[in-house]
Amino acid sequence: MAEDAAPPIEQMAVVLTENSADKLLPFATLVSGAIAMGLRVDVFASYWGLEAFRAPSASAPPTVSPGHGEAGARLETRLREKNAPNWKTILEMARSLGELHIYACSQSMDILGLSPSDLDPIVEGVTGVATFVDRTRAANVTYFI
Amino acid sequence: MSETENATASVPPDEARRMVVDARGSWCPGPLMELVRVIQEEPVGTEFELLSSDEGSRRDVPLWLEKAKHQLIEVRAESGFDRYVIRKTH
Repeated sequence: MAEDAAPPIEQMAVVLTENSADKLLPFATLVSGAIAMGLRVDVFASYWGLEAFRAPSASAPPTVSPGHGEAGARLETRLREKNAPNWKTILEMARSLGELHIYACSQSMDILGLSPSDLDPIVEGVTGVATFVDRTRAANVTYFI
Repeated sequence: MSETENATASVPPDEARRMVVDARGSWCPGPLMELVRVIQEEPVGTEFELLSSDEGSRRDVPLWLEKAKHQLIEVRAESGFDRYVIRKTH
């Protein structure tokens, strides 16, 4: 019977190009919400988004992107005072609860002069854009952050 | 130190199948993630008391339970947080 059939797996695709707390925290929050709701999530880390996964910076204290003046400084203080969860800890929890795949953009690897050993182990491999697009061509939800 | 890691789960000794998941202070979607984790780990029939001070949980938790087909027995507003009583049904 139709209602007994397993529902199709839904998928969320995220292209991450930023490397500041005000992007990484919403990114990690969005990913974990999608994992909680049972979606498979595929992330393509590109440019500053790839920098975010460089091994030491992945656990650095939150830094807000420039251009927000006093509000940016206030947010940094609030995040520290409120003991905000580290964005990568949120991602790791999400990955332990569902299907989360994070790929490094191969062009960014070349431009930034990175090798896979420079990256946090949560990144599962280096991928060309065509492969990422192919993996996510049926995604129900897509974000560019 | 992450807020999510601060969430603790404990089993009262005289009521082995009721588990308190204290996710107060954890930010959205931390309490929901804690619930998803304990429901994956514990046996069918277990009841959970999820404590959350996150406003988003008020919609997120019932929505998730409906999708995941587990039972929401009760939601009780306490001072500064909500208590969700949940049963793992399958």
